[in-house]
Amino acid sequence: MPTLEQYVILSIILLLIGLFGFISRRNLIVILISIEIMLNGLIILFAALSHFTKDISGYIIVFFIIAMAAAEAAIGLSLVVLIYKRLKTVYSDEITNFKG
Amino acid sequence: MNWDLVIFYYLAIAMIFSSVFAIFSRHPVYTVLLVLVMIVHQAFLLLTLGAEFLTAVQIIVYAGAILVLFLFVVYLINLRKETKKNIFIRKVSLITIVFLLFGALLVKNLLILISLKPSFKAYLPFNVEEKSNVWWIANYLFKNYLLQFEIIGVILLVAILGAVFLIRKVKTAE
Repeated sequence: MPTLEQYVILSIILLLIGLFGFISRRNLIVILISIEIMLNGLIILFAALSHFTKDISGYIIVFFIIAMAAAEAAIGLSLVVLIYKRLKTVYSDEITNFKG
Repeated sequence: MNWDLVIFYYLAIAMIFSSVFAIFSRHPVYTVLLVLVMIVHQAFLLLTLGAEFLTAVQIIVYAGAILVLFLFVVYLINLRKETKKNIFIRKVSLITIVFLLFGALLVKNLLILISLKPSFKAYLPFNVEEKSNVWWIANYLFKNYLLQFEIIGVILLVAILGAVFLIRKVKTAE
């Protein structure tokens, strides 16, 4: 049986991968997908804590995280489509409307 | 042969490699499909943690709804393969500083969490009285966390209305 430490280390690795993608990619859709990867790391963390402490609350939090991820994806993707309709680009370094 | 550890290491390595390839992939469709591979592996990882209901929710909601939504948007705005040389933004020093800062914070806090060895006892131990995981989740969700459950319903409704409101066709006054 894997221990709690192994699950926590896996969740740290997924959080770091998602963080790197979030701050370094140009494509807005890939940035949103990086947020999904970070949320998956959190899901592993809460589920492992809930399993190893015999507390059901972590599973409930995972349930809420999945619902929040659905809402966040809907809003974020509609904003990406809106940006594409207005500015004809989805690359974050080409959106320079506010540059002085 | 310890099959639990073998399965865990297979799932962990598959998740890490598919998410790394997703971040470094040049084509957005490959990114979405690799994250789909990662999410299916994660659903089986939740199964090893004894959460059957969350496995089903993960596959239905994440793989069935959210990633299909991403795939629709990728096709909708007709993204081509990135033609420029680099797929990352060019400010390397800024990326390094921010990544090291936030990464050090995350690793420090989660390592503190490991060193605490959380052993606090729960309200009730579950899976002990011949009750299934789904029974306990339903019991807690509709008794202790009912208000939060209603709030999450309202948040999903607001998200649907907001998405429709943002994408609607604006009539320009002429």
